[in-house]
Parts: sequence; C-alpha cells; structure tokens
Amino acid sequence: MTVAPPKTLLTLRINGQDVECACNPNKTLLEVLREDLGLTGTKHGCEMGHCGACTVLIDDEPILSCLALAVEAEGHAIRTVEGLADGPRLHPIQQAFAECGAAQCGYCTPGFLMTGAALVEQQRAPSEAVIREAIAGNLCRCTGYTKIVEAIALAAKRMPHGSKDV
Amino acid sequence: MPERSGSATIGSKLPRLDSPAKAQGQAVYVADLQPQDALAAALLRSPHPFARIVSIDIGDAKQMPGVRAIAYSGNTPAKSLDFGIKDQLLFPRDLVRYAGEPVAAIAAETEDQARAAATAVKVAYEPLAPVLSIEEALAPGAPLVHPDWQSYEKGANRVTDRNICGLNRIRRGDVTAALARADAVVESSFIFSAGAPGYLEPRAAIALREPDGGLTVWCGSQSPYGNRDDLADFFGLDPQRVRFINQFVGGGFGGKILMAAEWYAAALALQCDRPVRLVFSRHEDGLNLFPRHGGKATFRSGASKEGRLLGMEAAFFFDTGAYVGYGAGTALIATMLASAPYRIPAVDLSATLVYTNKQVAGSVRAPGGPQATFAKELHIDELALALGMDPLEFRLRNAWQDGDRSPTGQLLEGVRVKETLEEAARAIGWEARRAPGRGVGIACSWWFSACGRSEARVEVRDDGSVHVHSGNPEVGTGSAAGALPLIVADRLGIDPTAIVLTLGDTATQTYDGGVGGSASTFSAGQAVKAAAEDVRRQLLERAEEALEARRDDIELREGRAQVRGAADHGIPIGELAAQAGTPIAGRGVTEEISDPEFDASLVQSHDFASWLAPSFVTSAAEVEVDASTGRVVVHKIATAQDVGFAVNPAGVVGQIEGGAVQALGYGLCEELQFGPAGIINTGFHDYLLPTIIDAPKVEAIMVESPSGAGPFGMKGVGEPPVTTPAAAIGNAIRNAAGAVPYTVPMTPERVWRAVKDRRDSRI
Repeated sequence: MTVAPPKTLLTLRINGQDVECACNPNKTLLEVLREDLGLTGTKHGCEMGHCGACTVLIDDEPILSCLALAVEAEGHAIRTVEGLADGPRLHPIQQAFAECGAAQCGYCTPGFLMTGAALVEQQRAPSEAVIREAIAGNLCRCTGYTKIVEAIALAAKRMPHGSKDV
Repeated sequence: MPERSGSATIGSKLPRLDSPAKAQGQAVYVADLQPQDALAAALLRSPHPFARIVSIDIGDAKQMPGVRAIAYSGNTPAKSLDFGIKDQLLFPRDLVRYAGEPVAAIAAETEDQARAAATAVKVAYEPLAPVLSIEEALAPGAPLVHPDWQSYEKGANRVTDRNICGLNRIRRGDVTAALARADAVVESSFIFSAGAPGYLEPRAAIALREPDGGLTVWCGSQSPYGNRDDLADFFGLDPQRVRFINQFVGGGFGGKILMAAEWYAAALALQCDRPVRLVFSRHEDGLNLFPRHGGKATFRSGASKEGRLLGMEAAFFFDTGAYVGYGAGTALIATMLASAPYRIPAVDLSATLVYTNKQVAGSVRAPGGPQATFAKELHIDELALALGMDPLEFRLRNAWQDGDRSPTGQLLEGVRVKETLEEAARAIGWEARRAPGRGVGIACSWWFSACGRSEARVEVRDDGSVHVHSGNPEVGTGSAAGALPLIVADRLGIDPTAIVLTLGDTATQTYDGGVGGSASTFSAGQAVKAAAEDVRRQLLERAEEALEARRDDIELREGRAQVRGAADHGIPIGELAAQAGTPIAGRGVTEEISDPEFDASLVQSHDFASWLAPSFVTSAAEVEVDASTGRVVVHKIATAQDVGFAVNPAGVVGQIEGGAVQALGYGLCEELQFGPAGIINTGFHDYLLPTIIDAPKVEAIMVESPSGAGPFGMKGVGEPPVTTPAAAIGNAIRNAAGAVPYTVPMTPERVWRAVKDRRDSRI
C-alpha cells in the first residue's frame, strides 16, 4: 500500500507571476504544472527525458520538466509556452511556427517552441548547424524537422536584436 | 483537368486553421482534460507472452483504499471483437496471448490507489511455451496461439489454418517458363523488423456514463465514429446515446485507429457515476501499441539481356501477433505492391499472415508499403546489376504506361511512373560523379486512394460566420484543419481563416470513416465540397432576389454576394442568412465510387485487388557510408509524388517531408525487439526515432495528374511518401559500399557485416 507524503507549500515564479501551490514533494515540475496549476500547454511525451515535449525554461535555459522536481524550481524563473506571448502579441517563434507550418499534430510543438525561444533570445542569427544542435533533444514524428528549422531561423531574423546583426 | 474555381484558394499555400492554437500551446489533447471529479484508472497486464488463466480473484483488490470499479472478464461481455476473424475478447478468459495484454482495469480515487489495487488482483497463470517468430509458428507441431481456431466465425476470403490467419495470392502467366527463358535470374531474401507508429502523445481516454444510459467518451482517435459503433455494439448500447468527442490527436500514423484506453475507461465508467480517466505512460503505450508488421520475403525474378522483366515470384510472411486485428490489409497490399509498377508478363505473388504471441500488429502508415517496397526495389536493383544495367534505366524500361494492366488485370490510366522516376533522379543528381563512400539509390512504387463514407455540414450564420462540421479528425496531417477549410473557402468565396471548424464529435451526426488509407481529404473533402456547393447554390438563389440580378452575373467573393464587376452592388452572405431567418446550411456526403474492374481469375482470397485513383511515387537518396563502422549518413532524399491535384500544397509538402524522415527511421534505426517476456524497447531511449541529427535535406516534388475520382482530381497523399525512401536508401548504400543488408533496419552493425561479407567473399 502506498502512503502519500505530506504536502509541501511551494511558491513558484511562473511566467513572471508568483504562484502558490501545495503539492507532494515527490512530484515533478511537469506534474505540478499540468495537474496542480492547470498549465497543460506543456506536454508529457515519455516522462523519462527522452522526447523533449515537456521542455520549459528555467532562468532562460531549456530543461526537461519531467526530470525536475517542482521543489527544485522554487526561487527560479520558470517560463512555459503559456508565457511566451506578450498579451495578444505572439512571440516571434510562435508567429514563425504558425506561418511555416512547423506544427502538424502539434504535440511536440510546445517543447520546440521553448527550446527555440531560448535559442533565438540568446543568439543572434544562429546558423543552421547551431539550430539543429539546439533542437537535437526534441523529437518530432510528423514534420521531418524541415519546417521547424525554417521557423526557428525565421524567428531569429525577426527578434528585435536580430535586426542589429549581420 | 481539375475544376478550379475563380478564386485562387484551393491549391494555394495557406497556414492551417489550427496553427495559431498549436503555436500557443492551446490545442487541447485528451490528457489535458482533467475533470475535477474524475477517477483515475490503471490496468493489470499479463506478464507472460502465453499462459493459461487458471483463475482471477478481485476480492482483495476491491477492498483496497479508494477503489471504485474493477472491470475484467468476470463482469464484461464474453463477446468477440469482429475484425474479419472473431478471435479476440475484450478481456482474455482462458488464455493470455501476449505480454502486456490487459487482464483487468481498476478505477480509484487516485492513480496511485488504482495502480496499487491492480497489483492486488490475483491472477493464477499456467505459463505456456510461447510462439515468438514466424518460423516457430509455422514449424510442424508448433503450439497453437489459438487452439480453437477452427471454431472461429470468419468472413469470406479469410483463410485460417492453425497459426495462419491470412493468405492471399495473385498469379498471372507461367512464371517457371518465363524464368527458364530469362538471361538473368536473381533470388533475394529479406527480413523486416516490426516498428512502432512512434506518435508522441501516449494514448488516453476519459469516459462518463450519462444519466440516460448513454456514454460519453473523450478521445484522441483517428476514427471516433468507428470506435463509437464498435463500443456501442460491444456493450449493447444505443449508438445514438454514445458520444465520442475527439480532441486534437498527438500523432496517430495508423496506431490510433483501433481503441485502446477508450475500451477500458468505458468498461469502468459503466460501473460508476463519475468520469474515469485513463492515461497511458510511454511504457504502457509501448505495451499496448499496434506495431508495423515484421516479417520476411523471398523474391525470384528474371529478365532478358535487353533488360525486359519476364517473370517474378514473391512470397511474403508477416508476423501479425496475437490477434488478427487490422492485420489483413498489410498482406493484401504487399502482393499488390510486389511486382509494381513494372510490366511483368508472369507473376506469382503471395502473402501469409501468421499468429505469434506478440502485440497485435496494425495499420501503421502505409501498411505493408515500406516492407514490400524495400524488398522489391532492392531485388530490382540486384537484377539490374546482374544485367549490368543502370538501375534507373532498368526501371524506365519496364515501368507501367497508360493502358497497361496491373498484376490483377486492372486497366491503368494516368500512369506517372516515368515522370516521378525522372523528377526524383534529376533532383538527386543521378548522373553526377561522387566521392568514394558516397552513393545514390532510387525506388519507385504505387499506392491507392481510399474513399470511405464521410458526411459534412456547412452553414452560414447571420453574423457572417461560416461553420464546418466534419467527422474527420485532425491528427496532424492538415487534412481537416488545412484542406477542408480551403475547399469551403473556395466554394463560398470567403477567407479560410474565418471558418469555425467542428471535427470528430459524433454528436454532430456527420459520420466519417476516419483517418486511414490516405482517405481524409479524398473522402471528407468530397463531402465538405458537396455541402459547400449546396450552401453556394442557396446563397446565389437568395442573392438573385436580394440583388435583383441574374444568377450568372453574381459572384461570391470576400464574404459577399455581388454582381460581377460592380463591387458596390452586393450583400454580405451573413445578411442573406439573416434575411432567411435561419442559418443557410448544406449537407454533403461522399458518393459511392465503385472500385475499378479487375480479373477475378488472377487472384485468390484477395479483398483489395483493384485500386481506386492509383498514384505513383519515386524516392531517390544520396548517402555516405563509413565502411569501417557501417554508419550511414543520409544527405538527401528527393521524393516525387503523383498527387493528382494538390488541394493543400503546404500539407502535401509536410506529408512528403515527414514521410521521408519516418521512412529513414524505418530503414536505418527503428526496430521493436522482443525477448522471452515480450517487448524489450517500449521507450524512446531504446526505440530510436530519427532526431534532427539524422534528418537529411528533403526535396518534395509534386507531380499533378488529375485522377478523375477525388475532389478536384486529387489522389490520396499521406501514405505513399513513407513507402519508397527506405528502399532508396538501401540501394544507395549498395551503390556507395558495394553491399547492403537485406534486413531493415539497416543498422551500422548490419551494414558493416554486409560490406565485410562481400569483401570476404571476394578474397
């Protein structure tokens, strides 16, 4: 028989807002995001760190939320796909994914968006090789990756800092 | 020629309707639904590939904390599921036939409680010696996977014999005489590993018993209407009171046609008054998957020294697992592909379907396609090499032309084999000189367009909004969210992004046969087109009166009905609906299209002997082989596909690009492995899907040749591009390294061995 451990009160900073939740300390960040906070944009694909569908940003770095405990994320800035757009204004990576047809079934898309956002926010005009390396940990079964690479390159070009480059 | 309307909508590249939602993480999949009062479900699965069930005792499990329902053989109907052979029960009674087969389902307050209770169900098993390969299944005196096979009800054309559950054959001419006449005869044997559909969204379902005795099921299915009918039939419910509400589907590839989680959530929900939610982990999904058939084939063919094919024998054996399920299609398609698309006067082609104690193989994207094409196209190359001919030239010399007959005698029209061969060869640079270690290969084939029943409703409301109801689910292909709105927009002269789509909810009463057989745009597109044309006719009729103009002078454009050449003399279509006092609605349904004629005397127990609106496809690949390690890098795949007419070109390109990389996985790295206790690799760490590091540059080339059958002359698009690339890669490996393994996947070890064996044999 299993006995649930006592719940812990956590304050997580998600998409710029402090959110309180009481959850079991053995829960992953993915589980807390989806089940306790209703942020279901982040997907569960394998829950073993192999597919990248659950990628979120912690302090602007992509991490696999299925391999992180929620308690570890306290005190850090967490960004999920729900926090990419600025109100009605889509993030360039979202705009580019929609325009390029980079989402087919869409299940891997939130993970690619977060990985891609981290890249285009940090690097000006990443080369194709850099883009490919950045998303090497994200699986997509539908697209063959071509349109995803195109979308990330397009988003990089459109980032505010991107225009200063080249 | 395809009938094109005045607007440039169909055939233009527009983003699909679901793109904004998917790019914002707002597309909802089943597991995203978490009803507050839902019970969590877990399954107890057989640990044995083959065992007698001595007893099942749920007494202790019932007493476990939080348990609300248990479903198992003791409290569910003892009725067989019907897949042509009635060989399967929902929960096994006497025998479990594969490791991972669900034996009981439990609903409890929490998932932990459900899992704990599952382990408390006491099942006494008497393990039996399992049948784990085709060779074991066909050996004299082999244990029978279905000891009662003789008593099963089955459909006409279904052949059963001990561990055989399917056999079909196509014969034409005298192959023995033809091969005796040939200047070159080669024989080749191939092995195909089983593969996973590889969708990223594990299966999930939620079911709720309704107060009226009905049932609501939230699912992520390729076939919600078919699933509803199967479920209602099994549990004896009125199908009209069973509602399947399909969500976005996180990839299916044929793996989500048949129900999995839906069965068990429903069986449990019928025992309680709360929603039951069952979400598979990746591991469980792997245990419950419907794999691409593994199997083997032997080919023997001969040609004249002028390079004319004279005769071919091909025999396939497919491992279909514990139950027949949707396995029959693979064997039927394999014989249709075996000698195509070549003129061969004498053929003898057969395929045998074999039971084993493994997961139930299914209709993974282009069932039988990658397997049969890999074998025949490597075999054809071997024959070309034996004749000292260029493989492209050999194919061109033997390719079907208009007026030829298929192996079953079907008259072929609109044949585009030559065009696809030439286009793919040009794109890969067939004639170019290459560095040592690099090579090119080519492979061609044909495929069908399937037309299932589909219904649609289109309505224009008084606020000007246009609503489209189709039963066709959006599984990612862009058929429902891309092609269907394009068709409606084209007919009504509106912006496709203004359309509101309702898909795959059985409450809309727009039946659809589901996503499969490349049928979505072909079938649902036809229904939607008919519905939109019905609305168009009504709008024009009303506009005639409202604008006091002749119908021929009125056009539908930018959401308005207006007199041609007088843009200010018009009326918004919403206004026409407002004047009507009711939405202007139209219904459409697919027309019955009869299959082309064929010669029944050439086939034995074959249910799929002629193909509607056939299409033609060629892939060419350029690879680099490291002979010292066997590692293969694919630099480029070019696929030229006859699509009839590209209603939604962005969607077509997406299918070809994605198909190429899926096929690369099939050819180089994907392999389900089975040990004595069942599937070994259920996860993405040990079942290797291609990553971007493996993905080559893909060039998608659309060849258009109107079919005369599909809407706007289109042909089925989704499956062909996954059939040819693995074979092209195989031929390219041989071109680069002088040898190629006749086993898929062509792993580095197999490539290394093939190259080494060839070197050794020369010493």
